[in-house]
Amino acid sequence: MSELVQIDGAPRPKADPKVVAGIAMNLVLVCAVSAIVLGGVYVGTERYQREARLAGERAAVSGMLALGADAQVTEVRQYLDPAKREVRYLAKQYGDESAPTRTLVFGLDGSLREAEAAPAGAAEPTGLEELGRLFVAKQGGALAGFVLEGESRGYKNRIRFFVALDSSLAVLGVRVLEHEEDPGLGAEIATPVFRAQFTGRTPDEIAALGVTRDPMPEDWHAALAAYASSTGGEAPADWRSLLERERTKPIYAVTGATISSRALTRGVKGTVDHFRRRWALLAPRLEGEGASR
Amino acid sequence: MSETTERPPGALQLLFNGIVSENPVFRLALSLCPAVAVTTTVANGFILGVAVLAVQVLSSLTVAIARGVIHPRVRIPVYTIIIAVWVSAIDMALAAFVPALYAQVGLYIKLIVAFAIIISRLEVFASRQPLVPSFWDAVGMGLGFMIALMVIGALREVLGAGSFFGIVLFKTKPLLFFALPAGGFFSIALLMAFFNALERKLTGGTAKPAAGGHHG
Repeated sequence: MSELVQIDGAPRPKADPKVVAGIAMNLVLVCAVSAIVLGGVYVGTERYQREARLAGERAAVSGMLALGADAQVTEVRQYLDPAKREVRYLAKQYGDESAPTRTLVFGLDGSLREAEAAPAGAAEPTGLEELGRLFVAKQGGALAGFVLEGESRGYKNRIRFFVALDSSLAVLGVRVLEHEEDPGLGAEIATPVFRAQFTGRTPDEIAALGVTRDPMPEDWHAALAAYASSTGGEAPADWRSLLERERTKPIYAVTGATISSRALTRGVKGTVDHFRRRWALLAPRLEGEGASR
Repeated sequence: MSETTERPPGALQLLFNGIVSENPVFRLALSLCPAVAVTTTVANGFILGVAVLAVQVLSSLTVAIARGVIHPRVRIPVYTIIIAVWVSAIDMALAAFVPALYAQVGLYIKLIVAFAIIISRLEVFASRQPLVPSFWDAVGMGLGFMIALMVIGALREVLGAGSFFGIVLFKTKPLLFFALPAGGFFSIALLMAFFNALERKLTGGTAKPAAGGHHG
């Protein structure tokens, strides 16, 4: 430790090129070894990480829509071409890797450009911008609802979430799948009470949704907590009656985390709004999924 | 690098040092922010404690092995990179193999990069001592941190939530205050005072009391 840099008083010693080169080599070496270790761990765990994520998503889809074992879910992956001239939809039965894929391509004016059925195992399209996925659930022949995947830029990193809609496109629930907001602050957007604020609102109300920093009324907080902890069956009566008062009001932001609250709200609004327009195009083409509407 | 001329202390002494006489939370008062943030239950404290133990041991071993080639002028950034690599590796491994657990503690794992206790052990101990003593120092400090988190978690879970390790003891929540962040600071203060008093009684008042004032 004899060569510590002098900070006060004495003039700064001239940098010795040898020492600088030594330091640079040192840092390069450390970073190279780190990169190799991290790369190795990533390669070793990537497959399991993906499997765990898919299992979590499957549980979320059937949980949010309260689906039974006989439910049929169609997964629709959505892509935008780089020139932003057409939107491509790839639909197949959810969770079945061997199911055939149907492809639908629409121009931005809503005209159908292409419709084809591809055999199972078709390659994932490359070079396209992903627009998230959506899940269309049918149960007993009737439309049971939708789960939309959405993404929004949060305070630190992207927030990835699911929005569940019933067959009239009203919100059934919001679930945050991945986020890196601060624990105790922004992370509160993933708590049941905050998320329950979206539930019950119609697509028109969602489109007009804002965020307020006002404190959440005590009775509404209690009703949301009761709703969030109720397990299946009828929603609590308090929540139902207060929803009529609150459904046109803005989302109450988490204290100290307005940015995170706005990010999730903006994401939900955008996702629901886009879906409303896309579903009008998709419904007649997805062989029956839209027939019951 | 011959900062120490005396023989390094033995394994038992290092373990005792980390768990009791220089306990990271109750004695060194390091890494209090996470100690408050996660210790609402014993289980949370245990999980984060295990993660910190793993990162501390791996980082200390890495530094003890590589101390000859780390340039002293850039040692702090290098320590930070070493800690970050191990934290990222553990983060990916947990996400892959125990997703349910990861959903609960994923946010906290990433924060370990900035834990003062880990980098301070690298600077104070592992960068000056050979592999074996560095290992025992890391194990002692990691265990000391984990035990501290679990003791705090036990106090807060019993008083704040009326349960212990998830098992419901009372139907009510006796003192909800202890589950909240402010209650976490009070819990640490109460426990620190308790352990100081206990030690004073056992040693006859010769031991130095805990000195706080660190951040992180």
